[in-house]
Amino acid sequence: MSDEHIDLEGAPFLKDKTAGLYEPAGSKTLEQSAQRSTKQNRETAASIPQWEAWREAASRIKAYALSNLDKLLVEFERNITARGATVLYADNAQEANQHVLDIARRHHVKTVVKSKSMVSEELELNHKLDAAGVRAVETDLGEYLVQLAGQRPTHIVTPALHLSAEDVGNLFSEKLGEPFTTEHQKLTDIARRHLREDFLRADMGMSGVNFAMADTGTICIVENEGNAGLSTSTPPLHVALMGIEKVIPSIEHLPIFLNLLARSGTGQKLTTYTHLIHGATPGKELYVIILDNGRTNVLRDPASRMSLACIRCGTCLNACPVYRRVGGWAYGWVYPGPIGSVITPHLVGIDKAGTLPFASSLCGYCGEVCPVKIDLPHQLVHLRHRAVNEPSPMNSLRQRVTWQLWSWAMSGPKRYRAAMAMVRLGVRTAKWLPWHFWELGAWTRGRELPQVPGRPPFRDWWRKNGAQLKPQAPHTETSPGDEQS
Amino acid sequence: MSSRESILGRIRTALAGDSPLDRPPAPEVWARQNPTTDEMSERFVREIEAVAGEVHRCRSMDEARKELLELLSQLDQATVGAVDRPLTRELTSQLAPDRIDWGAPDRPAQEMAQWSASVVAADCLLADTGTCMVACATAYERLMCYLPPVSIVVATAERLFEHLPAAWDQIAPRAADPAVRGEFVFITGPSRTADIEKILILGVHGPKRLIVLLIG
Repeated sequence: MSDEHIDLEGAPFLKDKTAGLYEPAGSKTLEQSAQRSTKQNRETAASIPQWEAWREAASRIKAYALSNLDKLLVEFERNITARGATVLYADNAQEANQHVLDIARRHHVKTVVKSKSMVSEELELNHKLDAAGVRAVETDLGEYLVQLAGQRPTHIVTPALHLSAEDVGNLFSEKLGEPFTTEHQKLTDIARRHLREDFLRADMGMSGVNFAMADTGTICIVENEGNAGLSTSTPPLHVALMGIEKVIPSIEHLPIFLNLLARSGTGQKLTTYTHLIHGATPGKELYVIILDNGRTNVLRDPASRMSLACIRCGTCLNACPVYRRVGGWAYGWVYPGPIGSVITPHLVGIDKAGTLPFASSLCGYCGEVCPVKIDLPHQLVHLRHRAVNEPSPMNSLRQRVTWQLWSWAMSGPKRYRAAMAMVRLGVRTAKWLPWHFWELGAWTRGRELPQVPGRPPFRDWWRKNGAQLKPQAPHTETSPGDEQS
Repeated sequence: MSSRESILGRIRTALAGDSPLDRPPAPEVWARQNPTTDEMSERFVREIEAVAGEVHRCRSMDEARKELLELLSQLDQATVGAVDRPLTRELTSQLAPDRIDWGAPDRPAQEMAQWSASVVAADCLLADTGTCMVACATAYERLMCYLPPVSIVVATAERLFEHLPAAWDQIAPRAADPAVRGEFVFITGPSRTADIEKILILGVHGPKRLIVLLIG
């Protein structure tokens, strides 16, 4: 794993790159887009009576696939190899990158066209290809924009969710020398023109894999733009990257996933293009690289295992109030949102990403919308538990001392009263200080200090006046069902 | 130890002691309603138009030929690439031979990118989503689905299925045949993106127009 690009030390949510906290304009685009998606998702689910039965069935298929992963991978490998593909395994990112570089070198590759692959993001593959003198071009429009801007994707389905049309217009005029425009059609046409040249020039195409069918040795890729179709059919060489968890038992199981993925991801009945690729197309070469890179850590933790069932629809991101506010970069690595917070600690280590499970209000909406019924809220709680008990930023000496002090102060009335008096004094004093020290400084950069609770404290007031109050009959004006949260 | 062995070993260790799960059956997804061909045609037309596809219902092959000539007369006069199937041969029998290209292994992609349209035959049509399933055996046949700006798909109404699960009984065994290569692509409308501000734009990389000639 290339440590230079991972920034998970400490608490990423407190760092400057948490743009959404300080730049209202930056998060407005994100908030609106995410809201649009969530609304779409709610309507989709409501319009299908058997939605819950679908989720249950999909979840059971994935649970079965994960509990037979070794057998299914071997079966998939055998069947796709029989159809002319070459299968390579990679323990980690470094090995996967080496496989890609070796293939590129053997075929004298100068330009690679890539359709969207989260695994490729995980590998930091573009940097490695660049360093080896191979030009890698992201062809999914959102990925292309993010690559041009020198950024990271902010969302796994719509990587440029944070960019406004104006941002894109500026980007194209700056990087491509195109006249500035904010018209969506013109911007899209510009991208089409530039990327067409790359498709026709490329000597290698790369893609991810949405589903790998063990019983037929078929890979399934879904998309809307046609760039995966072009990336995998124009150049003479196709390299597909997949995590070990992408395999499903049978092609018979595919229709339900296609239904769930399109409807959850983008609110479509089916994506515009669903590719079933049967091994190597005659006259072309196909390599499939199967990556672990920490996924077996997830498999080993029974309470986390089902997070490997994720079909990368992005719904939990859109649904998450924290994600909507802070955006994808705040999570510090490739997979943002609730699903990122449960898989990243396993993939890069709880010692590096132990804070992520705390980036949640535990409102539970992510678990409710997940099309494969991953119990994200409980997985977050499980990982919080692990993070405070295992070596992690949440289990530092300072954290331990702080919480033990808190626990001690809260467990006796006198200590509690003394602590509260100190807090009141502290907040009142801190208000007048020109600088705010320690964690308070990070906290007050984006917020006002709270008002000091009124004086005297309720406790004192109650002691004086509580005895005079008579118990009253409860209100009966509203019926119990009227209460709304 | 190879990575293959180390990964499989780690998986086995992780799964050791698990109680085995029963293999789940293929879920039904949608119930079968067995609609008539006419009902399916109507649904197909409605659905494909909802995703910005165009469809012409033709009573006969003759009518489809006329429709094709009419369509091509509106496009620039560049070559039309075609995928060799009995249905596409019949459909294009009245086109001038120099207007149509059936593909050759050495045809450079740069040249094909200049073509005005492609003509391919669909193996299955899915009524409830407005989807065309095109079976492509070669890279050329695959390219014809993505490269030209206008994609013309011809199909007969007897290839209509009510939905994906209903067609799957035919598609899955073919996909499972180890002798089958290339790709089955399910096409539901022209190429589209919503990557900028979630605003829908058609024709980003693939065809800007998808036109289905539905015969019968």
